[in-house]
Amino acid sequence: MGKNVTLDSHGEALMQQYRERRPSLELLAKEAYEVLSSALREQGIYVTAIEYRVKAENSLAGKLELKGAKYKSIDDITDLVGMRVITFYTDDVDKVAAIAKSVFDIDWKESVDKRKLHQLDSFGYNSLHYICRMKSGGPRFELQMRTGLQHVWSTIEHDIRYKGDVKIPREYARQFSRLAGMLELIDDEFSRLRMVLTDYRRQIRSLVKDGQLDEVPLSVDSFRSYLDLAPFDRLNKRIAAVNQAEIYPVSLMPFLPVLESFGLVTLGDVQRFIEENSDEAYQLALSQLAVTDLDILSSSAALQYLCLVHVLKHDGGREGLKAIFDTINGESVANAALADMMLEQAQTLPFMQRIGN
Amino acid sequence: MKTTIQKQDGNLIAILEGRLDTAASQEVEKAIQPLYDCDGQDVIIDCTNMEYISSSGLRIFLGILKNTKAKGGHVYIKGISDDIRAVFAMTGFINLFEFK
Repeated sequence: MGKNVTLDSHGEALMQQYRERRPSLELLAKEAYEVLSSALREQGIYVTAIEYRVKAENSLAGKLELKGAKYKSIDDITDLVGMRVITFYTDDVDKVAAIAKSVFDIDWKESVDKRKLHQLDSFGYNSLHYICRMKSGGPRFELQMRTGLQHVWSTIEHDIRYKGDVKIPREYARQFSRLAGMLELIDDEFSRLRMVLTDYRRQIRSLVKDGQLDEVPLSVDSFRSYLDLAPFDRLNKRIAAVNQAEIYPVSLMPFLPVLESFGLVTLGDVQRFIEENSDEAYQLALSQLAVTDLDILSSSAALQYLCLVHVLKHDGGREGLKAIFDTINGESVANAALADMMLEQAQTLPFMQRIGN
Repeated sequence: MKTTIQKQDGNLIAILEGRLDTAASQEVEKAIQPLYDCDGQDVIIDCTNMEYISSSGLRIFLGILKNTKAKGGHVYIKGISDDIRAVFAMTGFINLFEFK
């Protein structure tokens, strides 16, 4: 217990009950955490953090010293077990709350939405507090739900407010309020931005689906949607047929910077890049694989050969080939040897002869 | 084909020496079993003295990669010759692994 805390006999009795219950409170905290985190996972809600704790003896002693008489028994103290969910977005606070309602029994009399306590012209601590109980019964516990920015504000505010025994002057308290207002605005903007981007992704997916590829700028999102159309499958299967190879699926997203470095701006450009280079990419793959008995390929093979051919046709030479491997696999001297090998093998191919002439 | 498994600085090292062809693959598969039982450590496959790799060898590498990644570890390939690197490149496997 803290050095300066003095408890009356009632406080001491409550403290003794707390000590006896501590092991079961630890179990409750863990169980509640597992129930909530698994429910959030099932609903696909990603949060910044879920924290839980059993109130420390020092902290309880401080509370009992201040307002011990308010509690008849240890059961009246609802934050002996506390859990906190910190979300990315304000909308997610309400989603987490809805999920909490479905997995715990909520004591509505004790629960409080601090977000609604402020006057229209005041800003401050924003958090949703539920007092919960496991569906199977047992002691109550507190669940706090707030955004990352609300969490930062309240942590700093708590740190400063309780650090010294000097009362914070009005002008500085007002600065805290102003910051809270600003963070509320930022939280809203993040939520709005998420909504705008979700709409944008939906539009891009629809354009890709309708084949209006020239209208879709090449980006992480659009390229991912484009890959759903399996644009490299045909060439992969053609290459795999050389040795009746199986195709092992891998992500093609690491090739996006390579395509961008070629100056491809829209998905239409990527589509033309495939159409214009497929036959030569097949020739190059054939020249390499036909003399082997390699019967397994990664699904990146087609795109890799397309990129190599694009460089060769645009006179990118050894440095251009090396740049592809450097971009995909990280810079390495060994990539120069690979580039040399690719260049040497390509020299005999018809398209290289045409370029040479 | 000789396979040696070592532990070093918390990583698992598999030293593969000789020709990793179809004939050798079963024996190698057995010898690398400790890699499958690993618990999230990084795996380094030392290919300094590897002379050849077939599709069966690539499948073994893939198995190690899948198992190690699933447990949160990384797989690094070390000391690979230009010829074997070419096999990784022509199959697109070069995009799957990290090389040291």
